[in-house]
Amino acid sequence: MKRTTGVIASAAVAALLLAACGDSDADTEETPAAEDTATEDGESAETTEEAPADGEESTAEAGGEPAASDGTSLVIWADDLRAAALEDVAALFEEETGVPVTLQVVANENLREQFGDAVSAGAGPDIAVGAHDWLGELVQNNVVAPIQLSSDLVERFSPESVEAFMFEGQTYGVPYSVESLALIRNVEMAPEEPATFEELVATGQQLVEDGEAELVMAQEVGQEGNAYNMYPYLAAYGGGIFPLLEEGGFDGSQAILDSEETLQGAEKIAWLAEQDALTVNLDGSNTIPQFVEGNTAFLVSGPWAIQQATEAGIDYAISPLPDFEDGGDPSPLLGVNGFYVSAASQNPQIAQTFVQEYVSRPDVQVALFEAGDRPPALIEAYDQVAETNADIEAWGLAAEGGTPMPNIPAMNAVWGPLGIATASIVNGEDPAEQMATAQSEVESAL
Amino acid sequence: MSQSVIDPPRSTGEPPAPGTGEGVRTPAWVHVTRWALIAAALLGLGYAAQQAIEAGSWLIVTVVAFIAMAVLVVYSTQRFIPAKYLLPGLVLLLLFQMWPIVYTAATAFTNYGDGHTLSKDEAIVAIQAQSVRQDPDAPRFGMSVAVPEGEPIESGDLSFLLTVAPTADGDELEEGAEETGDTGENVTADGYQLFVGTEEGLEPLAAEGVSVRANGTVETAPGYRVLNLLEANERSAEVTDLAVPVGEDGSAVKAATTSQAFVGQPTMVYDEEADTMTNAEGKVYVATEDGNFVPEDGEGSPLPAGWTVNVGFGNFLTIFTDPAFRGGFLKIFAWNLAFPVISVASTFLLGMLLALLFNDPRLKGKAVYRSLLVLPYALPVFVTGLIWAAMFNQQFGLINELTGLNTNWLGDPWAARLALVITNLWLGFPYMFLICTGALQSIPSDVKEAAAVDGAGPVRTLVSVTLPLLLVAVGPLLIASFAFNFNNFTLIYLVTRGGPFVDGNSLVGSTDLLINFAYRIALESGNPNIGLASAVSIVIFMLVGAISYVGFRQSKALEEVN
Repeated sequence: MKRTTGVIASAAVAALLLAACGDSDADTEETPAAEDTATEDGESAETTEEAPADGEESTAEAGGEPAASDGTSLVIWADDLRAAALEDVAALFEEETGVPVTLQVVANENLREQFGDAVSAGAGPDIAVGAHDWLGELVQNNVVAPIQLSSDLVERFSPESVEAFMFEGQTYGVPYSVESLALIRNVEMAPEEPATFEELVATGQQLVEDGEAELVMAQEVGQEGNAYNMYPYLAAYGGGIFPLLEEGGFDGSQAILDSEETLQGAEKIAWLAEQDALTVNLDGSNTIPQFVEGNTAFLVSGPWAIQQATEAGIDYAISPLPDFEDGGDPSPLLGVNGFYVSAASQNPQIAQTFVQEYVSRPDVQVALFEAGDRPPALIEAYDQVAETNADIEAWGLAAEGGTPMPNIPAMNAVWGPLGIATASIVNGEDPAEQMATAQSEVESAL
Repeated sequence: MSQSVIDPPRSTGEPPAPGTGEGVRTPAWVHVTRWALIAAALLGLGYAAQQAIEAGSWLIVTVVAFIAMAVLVVYSTQRFIPAKYLLPGLVLLLLFQMWPIVYTAATAFTNYGDGHTLSKDEAIVAIQAQSVRQDPDAPRFGMSVAVPEGEPIESGDLSFLLTVAPTADGDELEEGAEETGDTGENVTADGYQLFVGTEEGLEPLAAEGVSVRANGTVETAPGYRVLNLLEANERSAEVTDLAVPVGEDGSAVKAATTSQAFVGQPTMVYDEEADTMTNAEGKVYVATEDGNFVPEDGEGSPLPAGWTVNVGFGNFLTIFTDPAFRGGFLKIFAWNLAFPVISVASTFLLGMLLALLFNDPRLKGKAVYRSLLVLPYALPVFVTGLIWAAMFNQQFGLINELTGLNTNWLGDPWAARLALVITNLWLGFPYMFLICTGALQSIPSDVKEAAAVDGAGPVRTLVSVTLPLLLVAVGPLLIASFAFNFNNFTLIYLVTRGGPFVDGNSLVGSTDLLINFAYRIALESGNPNIGLASAVSIVIFMLVGAISYVGFRQSKALEEVN
């Protein structure tokens, strides 16, 4: 009896650790099919080029075949929504080229890691659907192959979306959607679109005073802070994280977190916290629910919040983040989703054909929009969707003037320190001090 | 009896005597089954070896071959009877315990991590492949892959049949076309210009007899066998490598998709002699011992793809000397000792008290109470951890709402630690309750009766008789529980994620355990560094080992008292 307890206990520890490692992102999107791939790739995660790990035989037996590129079919990894949207395209591709397409569903939060691990083990898909800010890491580890887009194709996409998938002058992905933060407003509670942030805060405070709302505004910060959500304020006066390069992209060798412009934005964060508009107690788990439950009239969030708002029957309107009265113009970071081609693909030309000639089709981009509700990156598809969908037009306006999230690997060194610095500012610490601390920590990591 | 927990569970004890006695003939089916099983095992191992050979890992091939020989030797003869029982256990021990340890230890001496996952040769290939740039002014070609007619599809010399669409500006054709004498004979009736490209260069292709598809690729051409998509894909690696030189600056026509080709060139050139990379502008990058190509003049960032190098004791030195680590490591270590001690003590006390209470024969409805108490143990920690984290929220959490406090549970270092202890108490006491209940029920009632006869009251019986017997039984489990909480990654990760982070150090959180710290370094920090994280794991391994050793020594002493 006790002997088994010991074994069970240790097995439980191992299982918990494994499970915890797999669940690295507290995103809510989950798919049952992803569980399978999680275990398969848990094994290949240990595997490296020079010393393939113990489970070489077990990996093969576990049936990695359906998920890995093998030279007979085109394997695409995508999350459940995108995989569903790609089904028609896959069928079309199969019909036109005779190459069967295997769509493998991988949970969004695991995709990046599994894609990297699988490709470095020489396996993995031909194509993976993912966000542009993975790029630096994927290039560093030679996971993705360059994509030589023809110049007339490039012109058909919005410039930021193509730029987002460029790294050191090379293109590595074909974009399909652009997302950014915007102001989502409960029209019943606040009928007028606020012209400035000051007006927004005043309206919010009035609603709280009148007992109609509990919060001035909802935006995710969390105890660890959230650099992505705070970036629009930091960049409002021309500051930001890294200086922009003239040829596009960021200069990752020096951070500008303690620059005068960035600091001016940081002070706006402090001001918003003073006005009870920002609080670290709003985190990933409760921010959107506060808005959906009608506890606040204003939510600063992205397209991922819309589904919940719609389900709750909220009458909402989307508008760009308002300016500050002194001229500060909050500019959000853009997240671009697109298609990567694996560097270890067994079907390199076919994979390139799919991403260059099929993903760039308007009907494909519209189908992907319908699955994900994000504005298409292809201008023609965007125009087509925006005509009938006011939300999409609003998202498009909100994204205007935004900069793609830096995709350089140095960005990994920024999220943690900058997040914590912004959380401290929201908690009432001195902005200058916090930004200087973050700057020195980022510098030492670069 | 508790001794058995200490023994490795797979010890098989004395092997039973051989089943075949003298003079008794072994039935034929036993032989057949035995050889069939041996053959099956060898086949499986052969398959494994095949896989390893394909992956190019000779170390694994050697290990597999050794295991195969051992299987054959041990099971094919009547001798080595103990080995027959031990071998499976030994193989599993090797595979699932020794190998991961050796592998982790080996990784701890490298800089394996983001940007250093490749070997040097792979990194060089990757850098050159990533540096291929399209010539901005050159046209896109329609492309078909072909072999000369009559040659086999699998091995014939590959060439590209290229077309330039009539809409393209004829004047801006790449130099190659001009050099090869664009005579006009290579223009089809539709206006497509035709070329054939091989490793030697670009030649015009006579338009006569050539048919062009709607997408602008050559369908048939005299003298060539055009490969279809799947045939070309069979040779995709060669298609990728085929570069048709055009012009003198190193530009070449390369496949972009299955039907298009572009003109471009790698902008990075590797010089094997000097071990340097040179880019198109002549900037030189030199290889460093850290596994990167860095600019020779020190200006700018290193090339993205680096390679794994051996760093010796560098990672261990970092842990103990780097100021960001040193202070943090000690702080984390102190909390890492305190947390399991407090957790085990608090959960055990509560669990034991409840067990004593519910062990009272006078109590009715014990089954109901017991099931209710075990409930927290039955819920997955992923759910409960997140729920507790939400309940500790300062503004919206249930705890502050109920108590009327305004404690910043997750934002204040000490409050966060207390929050973890509370959560873990709730999660952990049912386990202690269970094992104490079990142990109490196994204490024979006659010792208590004997104590009563000797004139001991209930308190005296509890302190002098019940508790010592209970501790002997659950002692090793408490040590196991200590080891579990020493590495209780999940709870910390779900409730506080290691935070709050103070003093501008985003690596070292106030409630981090060493394992959470290792995880952050490995996967979440600025520069994910698996090598460094492995070094931290090894330090943790040694610490847990030392603590468990001392603990088990103590529990043995406890038994001797008995």
